[in-house]
Amino acid sequence: MRYYVGEEARLRRRVEDAAMSVFDRWAYEEITTPSVDYYALFEHGMGTIEAQRAFRFTDQDGRLLTLRPDVTSSVARAAATLLSDRPRPLRLCYAAPVFKQQSQSAAEWRRENTQLGCELIGAGDASADLEMLLVAAEILAQLGLQDSCCITINHVEIFNGLAEEFLPDTNAREVVRGLIDRRAIPELNHYSSDAARCKTFADLVHLKGKREVIHSAQDSISNARSQRALGAVADLWEALEMRGVSELFEIDLGDVSSLDYYTGLSFKIFVDGAGSRVGGGGRYDRLISNFGAAEPAIGFVLNLDGLTDVLNSEKSQPQISRIHTDLKQ
Amino acid sequence: MITIAIAKGRMQDEALALLARADIRFNGHSAISRCLISTDQTGEYRAIFVKPADVPVYVEHGIADCGIVGHDVLLESEADVLWPLDLGIARCRLVVAGMSPGQIKSKGMLRVATKYPQLTSEYFGSRGTPVEIIRLSGSVELAPSLGLCDVIVDLVETGRTLQENGLSVIDVITESTGRFVVNRASYQLKAHNIARLLNALEQVASGVSA
Repeated sequence: MRYYVGEEARLRRRVEDAAMSVFDRWAYEEITTPSVDYYALFEHGMGTIEAQRAFRFTDQDGRLLTLRPDVTSSVARAAATLLSDRPRPLRLCYAAPVFKQQSQSAAEWRRENTQLGCELIGAGDASADLEMLLVAAEILAQLGLQDSCCITINHVEIFNGLAEEFLPDTNAREVVRGLIDRRAIPELNHYSSDAARCKTFADLVHLKGKREVIHSAQDSISNARSQRALGAVADLWEALEMRGVSELFEIDLGDVSSLDYYTGLSFKIFVDGAGSRVGGGGRYDRLISNFGAAEPAIGFVLNLDGLTDVLNSEKSQPQISRIHTDLKQ
Repeated sequence: MITIAIAKGRMQDEALALLARADIRFNGHSAISRCLISTDQTGEYRAIFVKPADVPVYVEHGIADCGIVGHDVLLESEADVLWPLDLGIARCRLVVAGMSPGQIKSKGMLRVATKYPQLTSEYFGSRGTPVEIIRLSGSVELAPSLGLCDVIVDLVETGRTLQENGLSVIDVITESTGRFVVNRASYQLKAHNIARLLNALEQVASGVSA
């Protein structure tokens, strides 16, 4: 539970305005979703496990309601129903608080966080992936954070291809995925008696960096499914280089969290001064079919409160004035 | 600058010795010193000395970029940090110990005293043994003989303290060694420096276990 007063509140508002003005420039329309909705919506949208972190209560007729734990689920439902007749692609954005139960000791402990987010629905091609990354990079630049941030990118099909090849058992797959996510090299080296197989997954953790990662990965990954995904990452990286923004980005094939949700590109946003990530997103082509006709979609969120904390810390004071002048222009 | 949180107590001396072999020296620091923070001679690294259970907390919040702490503490804390390296130092076992080996089976409900409630409940839960867990913060070996509990779950290095209190090992839950842990954001934002430190430690650590 957190108050923002005076200068802090003004800063927070400026950060929100900066993000919303970038969304606006890229032709994203604002959407406001209900704060209170049926729990079932989020079970369909986020998956049952993630949805369990929502605060739940009952309606008069006994149906389960919740304070929204994310916005994407509601936007997906709107796209499939309310906005189903609109021409595609749909570009939607929002600045809205979300509510989740948190364990007290975790670094991301706040129950309430305001998400600055956007969704690009009905576009499944590589240019949509690129657009998402460019929008995120532009917001960070607008906030003066371009030299102190890092956006890590990965493609979930790289791990899925390897899992299909080496880990037919879904339990083993989840164990290995968890170990890679923790970068637990010692455990990865011993999870199976097949040393070559262990090495394949331990290698994923080391495949982290710029363009050279793609070449190293091509040597160690042979299945067609992973190769295709790797090709998509290579194309995306080239596009980022051509636009001169690859400094902000890093390829990290060891980032394998939330694989059930994402279906293609996934990315996470880190900023110096914040101990945990301040945002992330990816492609979720299976989500909208939960609410209507299937269509591709990609989106990301930034955590407004996390960004405000970073900019509010003393060493970032010059950046605050920079945002201020940007907005006056 | 890279901040390293180091677990005070049995881990501390071995951790500092390992860092020194990797040419990272925190001058004038020893286990008896009361100084809780120290910078190395190059000014590149800063060490902070905190209670073992607090190491994952400092690292998860990014106050420390990385840390050195026992695997047992990590499993107990469930903190969201990266575990890229086993340092092989301060090796010990997490065990179930009691006055007599048959004790686990004979009771309808076992009373267990421990500093590790999370790991204890996982261990007995996976075996379907009903337990009542009593959380203690030290001198756990005393508890069975005084009648507080039937068995204990605790760390054992040599087993001498157990013997002196009339206890013997009933089962080994897991082995534990000192682990190098890294904050998720530092791993990306200070990638180069962290990778260098990881490499240096990996080399001296593999010397330890060989």
